[in-house]
Formats: sequence, C-alpha cells, structure tokens
Amino acid sequence: MTKNTGHANIETNEPHWIEWTTGTLSALVILAVLIWIGRDALMDRDTSPDLGVSVLQVEARSNGFQVLFEIQNRSSQTASQVTVRGEVFEEPKLVEAAETVTDYVPGHSKAVGGLIFKTDPRGRAISIRAISFNLP
Amino acid sequence: MNNALAPRSTAKDFDLGKFLAGIARGIAGALLFALPMLMTMEMWELGFYMDRTRLLILMVLNIPLLIVLSDRVGFEQTTTWLEAMRDASIAYCLGIFASGLILVAIGVVTSDQAPHEIIGMIAVQSVPASIGAMLGRSQLGGQSQQGDPDSGDPLRDRETSYAGELFLMAIGELFLSLNVAPTEEMILLSYKMTPWHALLLIVASVALMHGFVYTLSFRGSHDLAEGTPSWHALVRFTIPGYVIAGMISAFCLWTFHRTDDVGATQALMMIVILSFPGAIGAAAARLIL
Repeated sequence: MTKNTGHANIETNEPHWIEWTTGTLSALVILAVLIWIGRDALMDRDTSPDLGVSVLQVEARSNGFQVLFEIQNRSSQTASQVTVRGEVFEEPKLVEAAETVTDYVPGHSKAVGGLIFKTDPRGRAISIRAISFNLP
Repeated sequence: MNNALAPRSTAKDFDLGKFLAGIARGIAGALLFALPMLMTMEMWELGFYMDRTRLLILMVLNIPLLIVLSDRVGFEQTTTWLEAMRDASIAYCLGIFASGLILVAIGVVTSDQAPHEIIGMIAVQSVPASIGAMLGRSQLGGQSQQGDPDSGDPLRDRETSYAGELFLMAIGELFLSLNVAPTEEMILLSYKMTPWHALLLIVASVALMHGFVYTLSFRGSHDLAEGTPSWHALVRFTIPGYVIAGMISAFCLWTFHRTDDVGATQALMMIVILSFPGAIGAAAARLIL
C-alpha cells in the first residue's frame, strides 16, 4: 500500500503477498515479450517483403463483379503502398484490368482489398498480383 | 432528486452556484483533455467505420471506470457509491455534450450526414471527453475551496490501496493511449522500427516510469519507507504498471482496428510503441491524481 500524506507518498514497508505475486507475474510477462521480440531481432531479419495474392471470393454486385482478394506478406519486412493489379483474360486476349493500392501489408500479416470488373471473371482466366510496393 | 441520491445533504444545503461551477469545470476538463482527439482525423473516421461491438465494449467499460474514478477524484468528495454513480453519469453526459458541441463547431458533424456516422463520431469521442470531465475537478479546481492542499485536505490525506495505485496508473495510461492510438503514426512507427528498437524502448519505458515516480523530485513523488530496498518498488509498482500499460495499449489498438490481420511480432511492436507514452502517462497519474 501507499500512504499518501500531503504531497509525500510513502510506500509501506510491509507489502501484501499479492503485491509480490503481481510483480513477479508482470516481470515474467515482460520477460516473455523481450524473448519473443529478441528472437525475431536475431533470427528473422528479412530486407524485402514477400507478397502473395489469393482470391477470396467473386460476387456480382450492383456496380459489376467484385473480386475480394487477400495479400499475404511472408517476410518480416513491411510493404507500404502495395499496388495490386487484376487482369481478366479471354485466352489469349486481355479483356479487362483493374488496380488498387493498399496502404500497408505488415510483416507476417495480411491485408484484404477488392477489385471491380465489368466482365464476369467467373469462368474466365483471372490473374491478380502485386506489381509494386514501397518500404515504409 | 437530491434527497433520494444524497441522503446526507438536504435540498437546503444545495448550492446552485457551486453545482454549476462543477459542471463548468467538467466541460472545461472535457475540452482540455479531448481536444487533441476531437481534432484528429483518424478519430472522425473511426466514428463511422469502427466495428460497433468494439465501440460498445469501449463505451460500456467506460462506465465502471468513471464510477471508480469519481470515487477517487470526482467533481466533489463522494461518500457513497450512489453518489459516485451519479457523478459518473454526469461526467459521461458532459463528455457526450462537449464532444458533440465541438464536432459541430469545427464542421466535422454536419446535418447531411447519416445518424449512424454522427452518433458513432460523438460516441467514440465521448469516452476520453468523459474522463476529462471527471478529471476536470481534480486538475482545474477544488483547491480554492479547500484552502492549502497540503493542510489536511481529506482527499490527499489517505492511504491508496495497491489496487488503487494500479488503477490510477491504468487511467493515466488509458488517457495518453487514447490520444495517440488512433493515429496512423503508431502503426507506421512499428513498421519503421526494428525489433532492436523495440527492445530498447521497453527498457527505456520502464526506466522512465520508475524515474518519474521515485527518482525525480516532482510534487507528489513517491518515497520508500525507511530500510526498504529500492528494487522493491520496481517489482511491486513499476513493472506491474508497465504490464498494465501494455494491456491497455493492446486493448486500444484492438478497439481501433490497428491489430486486425497483423502478425504477432508486429502487433507486439505496436503495443510496445504505444506503451511508451502510456508508461509516462501512468507515472504522471501516480504523481498528479
């Protein structure tokens, strides 16, 4: 407990066992965080992102055909301003293309976005990939 | 109303001037503490895109927090929980009122917006504003009526339980966290920093937090009782305080959708970054409140 008289706060000399338990548990939590981040500091030092895009779903919406995609970043390096380009082919000819920019794809994380096409990509060949990025 | 809520004071004792001064102080506190957030673009955007479950959790958690805070430092010295609840609800209402007023005044809330947007924007701002309204009393006034704060002020002359100390730290931490957690800079920093920066920041946060409370001689500084080794306070107060700061940072980041789809290490780095201002807020709260 803390005794608060006037403006001087004196920590009492006989702490309750709960104070020690809380303190010890807290120290363990901090230690675990230090070990986790420290392990990454030593072992996981990528210098460029590793971006992969996969299609989650294609739906007909009022403004066309909406393709929901997910970008995964398998590296520990975050990518920013990731441009994703989607193309629909009527083999071998390109029918339609759409692009979007995602703000961030953090390391070992994913981001979700969407592209809208006028042509129905279902039943046609579709390619969605990241074509550019910046490092934050 | 007064008879039912405050059995010890009768309608005759009720001082309208004092009551209105308390309300004014609450609004002043709400403005002082919430203005930085009211003028942050991300906070307006959160108002309409934020997940409503998370917004609800934030708003509901704010109620017990205000009640306990009211018991500690409210508009006036509360003696019963009923009074604390009454003051908490006044503070919450003042927070909502002040947020709405400022958002309209700065042109963020306009009549052509959907009610969903307007309510969301005011709701998310009302949480920091209500804490500000509650703190308004302890930071902006009270002393004038109580004379010299060092001479027998009943609010100052008391023992703070261990849980009470941790609660104060949580309030201070929450306050600074809410200020910066919605900004994009928090996540951008976590992308720019290497894990080595994060490790250093953890050590620096704990050291600063401890230094603020125990080493630097601010008014309200804490001292150890005679014969207590100095590491006692570190283990009993500073380290738990830092973990609380981390938990509240994590909660704020989750509430504001900053940890969605983010990998464990990145999320941990964001928490560490947000805990840095949080730790200083926690230390400051122990000195001030």
